[in-house]
Parts: sequence; C-alpha cells; structure tokens
Amino acid sequence: MAAPLLLDRRAFLGRSACGLGGIALHTLLSQASRGETPNPELFRTLAPKAKRVIFLFQSGGPSHMDLFDGKDSLDRLHGSNLPDSVRSGQRVTGMTSGQSSFPVLKPIAPGKRCGPSGVWISDLLPWTQKIAGEICVIRSMHTEAINHDPAITLANTGSMQLGHASAGAWVSYGLGSENENFPAYMVLISQGTGKNPDQPIFSRLWGSGYLPSQHQGVILGAGREPVLYLDNPAGVTRNQRRAMLDDLASLNQQYAEQAADDETTARIRQYEMAFRMQASVPELTDLSSETQETLDLYGPEVRKPGTYAANCLLARRLAERNVRFIQLFHRGWDQHVAITRQLPNQCRDTDQPSAALIMDLKRRGLLDDTLVIWGGEFGRTVYSQGTLGSASSGRDHHGRCFSIWMAGAGIKAGYVHGETDDFCWNITKDPVHLRDLHATMLERLGIDHNRLVYTFRGLDQKLTGVEPAKVVTGILG
Amino acid sequence: MNRFAWLAIASLPVFAAAEEKLSYNRDIRPVLSKNCFSCHGPDEHGREAELRLDVAADAYLGGESGDPSIVPGKPEESLLVKRIRHHSPRRVMPPPDSHRQLTDQEKDLLERWIREGAEYEGHWAFQPPTKAEIHPARETHPIDHFVADRLNKEGLQFSPEADRPTLLRRASFDLTGLPPTPAEIDAFVRDPDPGAFERQIDRLLASPRFGEHQAVAWLDASRYADTNGYSIDGGRHQWLWRDWVIKAFNDNKPYDVFLTEQLAGDLLPGATEQQQVASGFNRNNANTHEGGTIAEENLVNYVADRVKTTSEVFMGLTMACAQCHDHKFDPISIRDYYRFFAFFNTVDDAALDGDGGINSKPFIHAGSCLSTPEEIESVQRELAAARDELARPDPDGLAAWIQSSAADLARAGRDFSLITLSAESATSPNGDPDRIKIQADGSVTIDHGDYAAYNVMLRLPPDAGPIRGIRVEFTPTEKSGGKLGFHQAAGLEQNFVLSTLTTSVSPFPAFNVDLNAMLPMQRISASAWQDGFGPEFLHDTTPTNGWAPPTGATSPHVVTVTFEKPIDPSATPFLTTELMFNYARGASPARFRILAFRGHDDGSPHPPDVTAQLRKPEADRSPADLQALEAYYRTHAPATSALRHRIANLEERLSVLTGKHPVMVMNTAEKPRTTHILDRGLYSAPGEIVKPGTPLSLPPLEEPADRELNRLDLARWLTRPDHPLTARVHVNRVWLSLFGKGLAPSPADFGVQSPVPSHPELLDWLAIQFMESGWDHKALIRLIVTSRTYRQSAAPSAELAKIDPENDLLARGPRFRLTAEQIRDQALFVSGLLVERLGGPSVKPYQPGDLWRQISHYGSSPATSQTFVQDHGEKLHRRSLYTYWKRTLPPVNMAIFDAPNREVCSIGRDATNTPLQALVTLNDPQFVEAARTLAQSLLALPVTDDARLIDGFRRVTARPPAPREMEILCRTLTREREHFQADPAAANKLLAIGESPRSPALDPAEHAAWTQLASTLLNLSETLTRP
Repeated sequence: MAAPLLLDRRAFLGRSACGLGGIALHTLLSQASRGETPNPELFRTLAPKAKRVIFLFQSGGPSHMDLFDGKDSLDRLHGSNLPDSVRSGQRVTGMTSGQSSFPVLKPIAPGKRCGPSGVWISDLLPWTQKIAGEICVIRSMHTEAINHDPAITLANTGSMQLGHASAGAWVSYGLGSENENFPAYMVLISQGTGKNPDQPIFSRLWGSGYLPSQHQGVILGAGREPVLYLDNPAGVTRNQRRAMLDDLASLNQQYAEQAADDETTARIRQYEMAFRMQASVPELTDLSSETQETLDLYGPEVRKPGTYAANCLLARRLAERNVRFIQLFHRGWDQHVAITRQLPNQCRDTDQPSAALIMDLKRRGLLDDTLVIWGGEFGRTVYSQGTLGSASSGRDHHGRCFSIWMAGAGIKAGYVHGETDDFCWNITKDPVHLRDLHATMLERLGIDHNRLVYTFRGLDQKLTGVEPAKVVTGILG
Repeated sequence: MNRFAWLAIASLPVFAAAEEKLSYNRDIRPVLSKNCFSCHGPDEHGREAELRLDVAADAYLGGESGDPSIVPGKPEESLLVKRIRHHSPRRVMPPPDSHRQLTDQEKDLLERWIREGAEYEGHWAFQPPTKAEIHPARETHPIDHFVADRLNKEGLQFSPEADRPTLLRRASFDLTGLPPTPAEIDAFVRDPDPGAFERQIDRLLASPRFGEHQAVAWLDASRYADTNGYSIDGGRHQWLWRDWVIKAFNDNKPYDVFLTEQLAGDLLPGATEQQQVASGFNRNNANTHEGGTIAEENLVNYVADRVKTTSEVFMGLTMACAQCHDHKFDPISIRDYYRFFAFFNTVDDAALDGDGGINSKPFIHAGSCLSTPEEIESVQRELAAARDELARPDPDGLAAWIQSSAADLARAGRDFSLITLSAESATSPNGDPDRIKIQADGSVTIDHGDYAAYNVMLRLPPDAGPIRGIRVEFTPTEKSGGKLGFHQAAGLEQNFVLSTLTTSVSPFPAFNVDLNAMLPMQRISASAWQDGFGPEFLHDTTPTNGWAPPTGATSPHVVTVTFEKPIDPSATPFLTTELMFNYARGASPARFRILAFRGHDDGSPHPPDVTAQLRKPEADRSPADLQALEAYYRTHAPATSALRHRIANLEERLSVLTGKHPVMVMNTAEKPRTTHILDRGLYSAPGEIVKPGTPLSLPPLEEPADRELNRLDLARWLTRPDHPLTARVHVNRVWLSLFGKGLAPSPADFGVQSPVPSHPELLDWLAIQFMESGWDHKALIRLIVTSRTYRQSAAPSAELAKIDPENDLLARGPRFRLTAEQIRDQALFVSGLLVERLGGPSVKPYQPGDLWRQISHYGSSPATSQTFVQDHGEKLHRRSLYTYWKRTLPPVNMAIFDAPNREVCSIGRDATNTPLQALVTLNDPQFVEAARTLAQSLLALPVTDDARLIDGFRRVTARPPAPREMEILCRTLTREREHFQADPAAANKLLAIGESPRSPALDPAEHAAWTQLASTLLNLSETLTRP
C-alpha cells in the first residue's frame, strides 16, 4: 500500500538520484517550529552516488587481525613480546596496563586471500569471503579513543565529547526524508552471542545533539510494538481512530483559522503521518511477502525478530522504502576474554546476514545507490590480554589501526585500502581516520562535509569536527 | 522555515538605516567575526599573515605585508577593501577554500564603515550594561517603553490584549507549568478590579508549583540526571540537590545567593548542610564506570564539563572552545581556560563512579529542605490510615483468596512429570569463562562467586508434549563447602540470591535469552526460602530482591516456574534461560540444573505452614489457621497489592521527610591536583602550571596575598555589580522562558559570534533593574508578565505574520508548544490524577517494555538502573520533573517532545512537531489513563452532557467551545457511544488501561465513549499550545 504513494511522489518530484525531493519533503515529515532547514545550495555537491546509507555498526571493537588483517608475520611472531619500538608508547587501557608482558597472539583461525584484491578474510567469515568481490576493505582505520564510551561516541557523532549530533541525524538534517511513511533515520538494535550482554549503547549514538530533535534516530524494535506507542489502545479499532482523527482535524482546523496558527496546520499533517505509520510499520515488519529463498539467504535467525539477521533483512526493506539512514547496532564484539570461544559465535551471528544483505541489495539493483558500511569503534590488540594460549585470554582495545568494509554507491568493489605493519599495530599506508570515513560517507550522499554546518553556541558545528578531514578518494570508483 | 527567510528577518534589526552612522557592534563585528576572525582573530596559533582584525590598533597597523589593513576614513587606502573586492581567487578574502564568502551588501558595509572612521567598539556583552533613561511617553510600563520605541521605528503597533482566559492560561503555564482550572478562570474573568491580573500573578508566584516549574529549565542547564551518563550509566542519588533548587525558587532566593551557594556553598563560612547540598551543582557532570578508564583522562573531562556548564550557564560564554586552543572568536585564551579550570580542579573526586548505586565521592548524607512538620504529620496520618485499612478484616476478599489458592494447590502435582534436560551451552559475560562448566549429567557448575547472569540453553525432546514450565534445582558442591553458593553477605553466608529468571524458546539454537520474546510467568513456587527472599520476588527484574534458599542448606533446593502458555517443543525445541545473580553485588550458586515439566507444578508458591493451612478442608481450619491465613493474605494477596504499594510509597516519603540521604557535593582535596595548561586539551600533554583566575578580558579579580583564589571568590566576582554578563544572561533566560526566545537569541552564547539582541537597551535596563532589586527573580518575572508586551494577543494579522514571522519585534504575544513536562502534567492535572508532592527520589511511571535492558549492561554489572522496573501508586502520577532521568535513554515520551538527554548543559528547548508526538498523546498508557480518568471526572458532574463537554473543553483550552466545535464533539460522543454499546468487550479493554482504579458504578460503554472524547480533548492542538 505504500508503494503507489511513493511512486506517485517520485513521479511528481521527477528529479535526479537524491533529487530536490528530499528537500521538498523536509517540511512534510519533520516540521520544526524553529529548526532551520539548511539551504542545499550551501553544501550539496553535484553528483550524489548514494541515496541512502545502511550502517552496520559492530559495537565493541571487532578484532581486525582475526577478521580482515591476518598475515603470515603473525604466525612467525606468535608468542614473542610486542617490541617497545612497535608499541610506540601507545597508552593502553586500565585493563592491561598492569600486564608484565605483551605476547603476540596470531589470528585465532586461518583465513584466505579473497576476491580480486586478495584481501585476507578469516575462515570465521565464510560468507564475507564470498562477497569479497563486492566490498572494499579498509585496513587502515584509526581513532584516538581507547575506551568504549569515547570511541563509540566518536565513531557515531564525530566527537568524543558529549552533546554532538549523530551521523544519521546530520544526514536527516541535510537531506530530509524521501518518503511520507517513515522517519528519515531508523535504528535497529541486536545483541550477539559472543558476549552477552556486551558494552552498553546509548541513545546519544543516534541522538540529534544540538540539531533539532526530529532528526534523532527512531528505534525500530522487535517487540509487539516496533515503533513505540504505535498501536491504538486496546479496544480501539483503526476505523474508530480514523473517525476520531477526522473530528480532531476539523477541530484543529477551526483553531488554526481562528488563531492564525501555522503550527496547528502542521500538526494536522503530523497526525495524518502517525496514522499512516500505523499501517506502514506493520507492513514493513511483516515478512510474509519474502520468498523462502530470500529468507534462507539471510539464515535461520532471520525469522527471529530482534536478531542481527532479522535486522539485516529489515534494513533492506527500509532501503526499499527509501528511508535515508538505516543503522544497525550489534553488540558483542568486546573480546577481552575467551576470544577463541566468543569470536566464532559473534561471527556466526553476523557473517551470513551481512553478506546476504549485500547480495540481496545487489540483485535488486539497490546496491548502486545504497552505501553500506560495516565496522566498529576500534580494533583489538595484537597482544594477548591474559596468559597466551589460556582459554580465558582475549585481546584489549586498539585504536591505532582497525578494519572496516564498505560497499555500494560507487565504492570500489573487490578492493582493499591501507596497510598495517607486521604486528597489525601501526598503519604503514593510507591512514583513514573516523572523520575521513564520515567525510566520505557524506560525499557519497552528495554533501560537502565542510559546508554542511549548524550554528550552535557561536560555532559552525559539523559532523567531521574541527580537525581537518578528507574524503578517501582512493576507494571511490 | 527556509534559512534565507530566517536571515531576512534576523537582518531586520541589524542593519542601520541609510542615514544613520554604522555601529561596529551592530553592523560590522558580526560580518568580521563570521568571515575573518577565525584566521585574523584572537587565536594566536591559528592566526594567518600576522594580521589581527578584532583589535583596532592591530587592524590599523596591518599584517606581514606591512600595509595598513584599515585606514580610518580612507577605504581606498585600506588593504582590507582591496582584498575583499579582489577579482583573483588567489587574492580575494576570505579565500574560496574557507567556504566563507562576503555578500556585496557586506562588502559595502565594511567599506562604508571605514569611510565613516572605522571606529571599533568593545563587544556589547563585555561592556557593563547601562540603564537607558525612560522618557515619559505613552507607555507607562518600562518594558513597553522600549518595545514601543522599536515598533514605532518599524511603523508597527502592539496587538490588542489577549482575552482573560487566554491570558490566565498563558501565565499559569509560564509560572507554574500547569493550566488554570475553570473556577480560576471564572474568578479572573469576573474580577472587575483593575489589578485583577496582577493579583493572579501574585497567586501564581506564591504557589509551590512555581518552584517545580522554574526548576525544569534549571535542571536542563545544570545537566541534572539520575544516572551517571557515560558507559554503563549506573544510578546516582542527586535528588536532594534538585529539591534544593525547587525550594530556592519557591523561597525566591536572591539570584546572587542562588549562584553563590551552587558554585561555592561548601566554601561559605560555617556552610550549612543545605549550602553544601547546593554545591552539588558542580557534581551533576556525567561520570563513568568503564573498566578500562584512564583516571587522568576522565578527571580532565569532568572538570572540563564544570567549566563548560559554569561558563555557559552563568556567563553565556562558550569557554569550552578554548580547551584546546585560544578561542577563535572570543577573547578567551587557552591560558584563561585553564586558570578557570583550576577553580574546579581542587575537588577530591574520583575518576570512577561509586558503582552499585553508590554515589561518586565526595558525597554527604543530608536531610530534605522541603520537609515540613505539616507534611510529616499528614504522611504519618495517611500511613496510619493505610496500615489500619490493611489490618481491617476483609472476610470476603480473604474467603475468595483462600478459595482460589486452595484450588490452585488442589491442582498442584496433577499429571506432573519432570523431564531431565541437559545444558547444551552455558555462558556468562564476566570474568574467567573457565569457572562455568557443563557437567556430564547436564548440570552447570560454577567455581566461585561473582555477580553475573548465566545464559543456559537446553534442548527439549520434540515429542515431550505441552511443557508447562521449568524447574531449577540447586545442589551443593565441595567448592562451596557443601553449601549452595558463594555469597558473603551477613545472613546469606555460602548462599546465593536468584534475582531474575527469564526464559525464551526458539525453533533453533539460541545462546541468549530473547529479550523480545520472554515467556510470561504465571506461577512461581520454591522448595523453601530464606526469610525475606520468597519466590514472588522473581516476578520483577529488580536486582535488590530475589529468591534465596535457606542459608546454611546442604541439601538441594528448587524453584519452579509455570508459564502463562505451555510450550510446544515440536515447534520450539530450544529453551534458553537467563539466571541473574546480582543481589548486593551478587554471588553465584555452586551448581544448578534445569528441568522441564508437564502437568501442574507440585510445589507451592506459599511457605509450608500457609500451604498446609490452605490444603486443609475448610471445616478443619482452626481460628488460628484462619488468623495466620489472614495475615499472609494481607502481605501477599494480589487484592492487597495496591494498598501495600501505597504504604511502601508513604513509608519512603516519610523517610524522605525525616531521614538523611546521599547527595554529591563539592569539597576541597587535602592535596588538590595541580592544574596545567593542556596542550590541545590533551590530559597527556601537561604544560605550564596555572593558578585559578578569571578571563583577562573581563573585570579583574585580584588574587589575595595569602592564598589562591577559590570558587567562592569566583562567585563573588560573578555577582559584582559591574560584571557585564551575569545579570544580562539570567534576565535573558527568564525572557526566553516567557517569550519562547531570548532578547539575545543565543542564551548560552553572549560571545562575539552571537546575534545582536533584538532590544539591547531593554536587556540592559532589565539587567540593571534586576541587580538593583536585589537579584529578585520573582520580581523580575512579575515585572515582565505585567507588561503590555506580554499580554498581547498571539494571533498575528496576515501582514504581521509576513513582516515578522518569528516575532522578533514583539508586536504580538508569544505562542509556543507546551514542553514535554507541561503536556504530561496537564493531562494528569485536568483528569485529577496529578499527585502534588514536592521533591523526593525520582519516580518511574509507565514506559513501554524494558528498553533499558535492551541497551544496558544488565547481567554484567552491579550498577543500578540497568533494567526498568515501573513504580506503582502515586509514583505513576507525580509531576514530570520527578520522572527518573536515565541519561543514555531518557524518558521516551518526554524525549519525543524535545526534552534533552541531560548529558551536557542545555539552555532552551526545541519545539518540534512530529508524528511520534501524536502517537504519544494518543496511545501512551499514561495519556489513555488520563483520558479515562478525565472522562470519569466529567461523568461524575451532576450536569447535562453539553455542560460536561464544555467543562472538559475549558479544562484543556481555558475557553468554552464554539457552537461548531460543540457540534463536532457531540458527533464524536454519539459515534463512540454507538461503537462501544455494540462492543462492550472493547469498552472493557480500553478501560483496563492504567493502574488507577475506575469507578465500577459507571457503565463501561458510556465511560469508554467519554474516554475517547477526552482523548480527543487531550489531543487538540490548542491543548498542546501555550497561547
């Protein structure tokens, strides 16, 4: 039922990829009383490649040398102490700062060179190995943060300090929504079996910070009521609600005219969108129209609401419905202990659904204008936390280098960017800061990260902050 | 609205008329600041070409080129003019890669200003305010004098005064956060006295609701919350500080004292307990309990947040910008920053919070400043009455309970059979994973005690038939000394407490319990229990209670759960249970196994003596048996739970009023930390050591000969009469609260980049008046709201809406959407649900599901507030400022209405208009319950339906409905009546929402129809608007 409306709208707007439609619809979806809508002339670039973003955020710090950056040198160095010359005075967290030695731990599982780039991908990720030709692995990500809260806040809001707006909120602010049935920014949360519960996450990660609050992410939950307060009260039918809203609209219309109140006119439209969402959200989460083959592609857990697999399928469905920024938060990657037991579980939960999402987007033609990002807030230490070889040992946090992957929206497919040293400790080629990732993401959406600003407390705030950030041109096709 | 349109309006007050001489502050500085100062301004390190344009002498001198940038009177000789008009992209200023660009209008302005003499002025906000003389004019009220002056210049006039109902609704919300009652409106409308409005204002100012409402904006600014904010975001106790704020507003504590006690209450000579509590302002910062925290890094963050908050709240200065480098725009150097930082770096605080719900040090135990002998007496009376009521014989209730409980026990054990299961996986998030092992017999052993949740997965035999529930059997091991667990707490030695038990099933293996599909529990029995740790405590997720077997037990004990619906193992063969041991920092059992059962659990949810008494045939029960059963009925039966909640709430209230409770405060460490200038703000790059001091560009604060400056000196400095910022910033914030925007549009930034005030002379006049009045907050509000400016109608003419859509010129009254708190409070108030108690621990009204557990560290941390446990009774209906504020997930129905997350200082709120807001006021049980209760209260009136409709409409809008509106409302009512008469079951479903009792005398269909009508009233746009 949503489709014809969207088609009409698209036909009506009849513009290019990201189009001016987003701007036109801004006010329809998110009428801010005093929130200004930025003038697109000020920050739009000419050729947007992405209409939307799916950010598969892997919370906790996925282990880069175990997943994407394994190398022969680590086999050789296994058990040796990390030399001070390599460690470069790097501070370590309070969790291993008391350790007397820092023995190198090789990848916990073997891997293969995959795809045209020959990037090493762990055998723990057999499905990701299959899509190596579709993705671009960046092995040279880095961040200053070494603890979760500041690191995950930086990864999602561009700053370690509290109070900033999340990337999704920035995109919602800049581009608005392209549809009338869903918010521009939706968030889906899951918890893996690698470590349960893992590090907490916070609403600031999808919050609006200083931006007007309608840009905050809206959680699409897995319970009976996927969007909070969506359902009519028990005993009230949809027809009854329709009739009540009609009366309410008549009353509000009277007031709007009598009091010359534009806000009330806008509010009438918001109530209508709320009513539409009561139909569009259940339609979104109802998987009965998916074929068995598609469901199988995402794996058995796709049928269990709230799992990473189910959320990946929902991400595709949200992308089809033109939701601008779709973000999954998947917890469980913080392998301080028992990495040999936890990490395989964590990979099993996420590997197939992540790969399935790419395959599914591709075959539906959605990958061309959807930017997909898979990654977390930092990597992990090459040295063992705890006694090397003990079943209880793991890896501590590491921000000097870590790996992520991206796909779609003209990102080079089957490509690998950046290199680290023999210890997977320092970057030796093409460093990419989280700021650069944000700049690149905005670039794909047709936004100049330096010019999408919001004036707050005397400063032009932007997602990439005050330090210089650069678009990673090397990965653009 | 479009940014260009906004700029057009913003520019209204900015540019001078053609004949008037340009003002540097009004016309030129904004242009230079926006386009030039980031490279040619105060920041020494960021400065290009050695050129500084924010200081006259430097600009006249010029930069490295040697040519003067500005030659007063001679634009043609000024390099600045050449460069801004340069045609070459390589020479033009600002350079294209800066993404800054001067408009032609701005270039003309700069040139004209230089021609007129290029006179610099100090930034207005850094100059002491001056009190403009008020000439005798048409306007008798000083505020109106200034506003009229401006309106005359624009050729505009005041709008007519709003009608009285509107005016009273406006003032009631502005001063108390609640709407007026129809009776209050009638009294005001009928009052012929010329001072009628002023009398209403005095009444509102004297209401205790005043302090509650005023506190809300202060809590935002002070980033007050009930949790620690970073990472695990555990609970803290800081409500005594919040209550101090409420009392300070109600007592009309002079603002200079209000400021001083919050910044330095602990340093005042002979500081009282409450003055120390006040100093908690500087402890409201977020703090952490993340495991890997580097102490120095976090301590710097905490102090930085104190600098940020103090400078924004009291001075309207964004000092935070100078943490890493000299301020780009304002005259605040990095050295200024760290001297200011040093004031707050002397506290003896810790990098980690106290954990487990314990406050971070330093904290004290203090009494509540809101306690009154009258309330103590009344609570004691209420409590005694409630206890009497509980003690009163209730033979009917007792008989019904005995009957149903006896029937339940009669069924117990019927068709009962246990199915042995083997754990397939057992995990725990914490510590050494080797300590948890699955044994050959399928049981799980744990080596030593720790707080933890254990997720255990088992496979059900597919042909086992309907499975009614599970049993967990705990057995001793050698490791635990032949006892059942590892707890060390007194009374629980070598025992354990199971605080939560949650279970889900799935068609495929699931290592974690599925929080989205937890099986509801119908019945919980146990073999026996330690006093105070009965199985009923497993019905909620509170970590501070749970089931424990008898301490010292050496034989197995079991707890058995019956689910509401049986499990079909052929469809969902995998069962996962999470067992949570988190009582008093938790401790694990030694060994347990999980079994499934068919039929009816053979255990009893009651203690053995009660079970025996219930099992006796009725005729065999002795009077003593009945007495014992009655005692148990009172303390355990569902029928008495509302009363028991009431008693518990009253007991807590009495303790609030009479006891001492923890609150974080400031102090001075014996050996305070040394403050360094931190290069680029990095804790790891300490440079020069600095002592406390204030920014050099503001009035000087001399250091005494014998000691360093401290926070008390800072407070005295801020409240000096010649301080240019303190009074202006406060007055502006008050204006913001009454007009929806400040006279200075950026209330937390009075710096060089801030937009010029719409009425600068008025702002100054008010600031001086405020100081002269003895910093009298209530007098300031009274002054503003009694002005003609405030009392104007808010409806703009079409012309005015076009000329001044944002109402910068104040030619009409202010109108804006109510805040999150006001919207919820109004619904509670008009329905009669609101429970007006001042202060106390924060409360947890309705919230959907357990959102906290979905994102938190529940099961992996002794921190509190990891799981949401809803309150009951009066705590569901307190004013919204008392709602528990978890920073990482603030109350959702308030966040949707723009409440901030209180992680950082926040001044002024958005008023967005979104579909999610509609879903809240239509569907949130809080609002559905309010509609139901409003309906009940209208139905209770001995009047006609028409009169009821009018009364309801007036409660939410202050005015009676127009005939056309009446028609629509009648239509709604008739339709809903027909609907529910045809479907009484639906009516009962709707009426069951919310925990407050409903009058059983009302016809359900009629009540439900009126509930829908009341919901319509609560959703009127006018209802959500402060007119």
